[in-house]
Amino acid sequence: MQLTLNQRESMNENIMIIGTGSEEGVERSQIDAAVEGIASASVPGLKERAGVVYASAEIHAALPVRESRSSTKDLNAVMRGVRPIAFLVHSDVEILEGRAPRSGMDEIMVGQLAATRLGVPAERLAVGSKLHFDNRDWTISGRFAAPGTVMNAEIWMPLTDLQVATKRESTLSCVIVTLEDATFADVDVFAKSRLDLEITAIPERSYYASIASFYGPIRVMIIVTAVLIASGGVMGGLNTMYAAFAARVREVGMLQALGYTRSAIVINLTEESVFSAASGALIGTVFGILLLDGLAVRFSMGAFALTIDAPVVFTGFVGGLAVGLVGALPPAVRCLRLPIPEALKSV
Amino acid sequence: MSFITCQNLTREYKKGDAVIRPLDGLDLEIPRGDFLALMGPSGSGKTTLLNLVAGIDSPTGGSLVIDGTDLAKLSRNKLAAWRSKHIGYVFQLYNLVPVLTAYENVELPLLLHDLSKRQRYERITEALERVGIADRADHFPRQLSGGQEQRVAIARAIVTDPDIIVADEPTGDLDKGSAHTVMQLLQTLNKELGKTIVMVTHDPKTTEYATRTLHLEKGRLVEAEVAA
Repeated sequence: MQLTLNQRESMNENIMIIGTGSEEGVERSQIDAAVEGIASASVPGLKERAGVVYASAEIHAALPVRESRSSTKDLNAVMRGVRPIAFLVHSDVEILEGRAPRSGMDEIMVGQLAATRLGVPAERLAVGSKLHFDNRDWTISGRFAAPGTVMNAEIWMPLTDLQVATKRESTLSCVIVTLEDATFADVDVFAKSRLDLEITAIPERSYYASIASFYGPIRVMIIVTAVLIASGGVMGGLNTMYAAFAARVREVGMLQALGYTRSAIVINLTEESVFSAASGALIGTVFGILLLDGLAVRFSMGAFALTIDAPVVFTGFVGGLAVGLVGALPPAVRCLRLPIPEALKSV
Repeated sequence: MSFITCQNLTREYKKGDAVIRPLDGLDLEIPRGDFLALMGPSGSGKTTLLNLVAGIDSPTGGSLVIDGTDLAKLSRNKLAAWRSKHIGYVFQLYNLVPVLTAYENVELPLLLHDLSKRQRYERITEALERVGIADRADHFPRQLSGGQEQRVAIARAIVTDPDIIVADEPTGDLDKGSAHTVMQLLQTLNKELGKTIVMVTHDPKTTEYATRTLHLEKGRLVEAEVAA
């Protein structure tokens, strides 16, 4: 989730122009529709190709949608009304299937994780199928991907269509501009000098970082829960080790009677334990990769995919080995502290 | 000079404020090639004496010298090395490792010696053949009868060709027929290979296979007799 909110290819150079006082939620922002044109003309150094300035006028809205007209269940969708320039400003968006929606045709396009966000099967949002909102059926004209970003779980549609649907024909949520020669300060100065527009400039990265910080306490809770679960696993592992070694006290006594030294036995028991733990960690890793990697999880801003990457695998594997090592030593030493005659009498 | 010499051999334990003395100033000499049976009531000190001879316990008083080595003077690791060379231990409950085959169980003490795989194979095969169980080499303990398990345990005890075999009630968990087989086997090892055997037993019948039987009571020898 943190990665989804923080890591975007185009974020470093994108600046959001939003309504003053709406820094905590672009959905609540309302700015004049003219800001797009004024910003394009007033801020020199914005990115421009073939006479087109990279300034994307957008409406962000959380709207209830339904699977069909007859459906009674509202699904919470994150909608974004855009113009074609949005595909340039948001360079990490890639159309996977179909095409961009056409204005006035009641068309939408869905992100890769939009189905997860809505809580419906992925095939329900196939190209050609429909969703119902604003008393109309909307046809899905395409699917897009924006991996690792909140956009991946959004529904995109033409700006004018969403303006009509949200009854805000003369206002926008934001204008997102891409810098080239300009800096954030240039956009900031523009925003601050146009008091009449009541706008604020904020780097897109900072905006999503502030959203991410909102989830800080939840993140702490998740970490605490994970630590508790891991501690339970460690305790369970230690308990199992103690039980397993307790059952082998007589065997340890026998080995000593045969001439094995205590250090040799400790090393042997630790090797066995670490090998078992490594096998368990390996099996866990395989299950993790097979069952969890790429699994989509919903949250209020959209959805994100769980990632079982190299650091996660490494942490899990090292954790498993640590349980094997730490779990083996105390019971092994405890086993060996018994005098051999007593160990041999053990049941 | 005797092979095993115990002089004023004492073993004490502290239990709270009380001092328990299972072995109390024992003097004993065991010649090489002896088959000694130790009898006595529970708590008489016979297993304590056996454990001291086997080098798995240490005396708290007196001395125990085996073939010129004073066991009390050996460090823990040296004592372990000494055990691996000189002692074969036969336990009442066999103490075979359940996840290892008979062959692998017999191989356990050999892993402490600098032997090639081929040399180990030859020694294990010879030991298993000697105890008459070579055809069960690939069997796990759970696939063997009690008598067979004890024969595997005896093979494990003799595979390193030790000077001394200590046996703690080796027939205590066996039926009459198996007990007879095991005792005959120990007798053969004593007579044919010249192994010195020290055995603890509660069964007077097993003493018939020994060359000598000693009775202990309260940590002291009470009488000695030579088996018929």
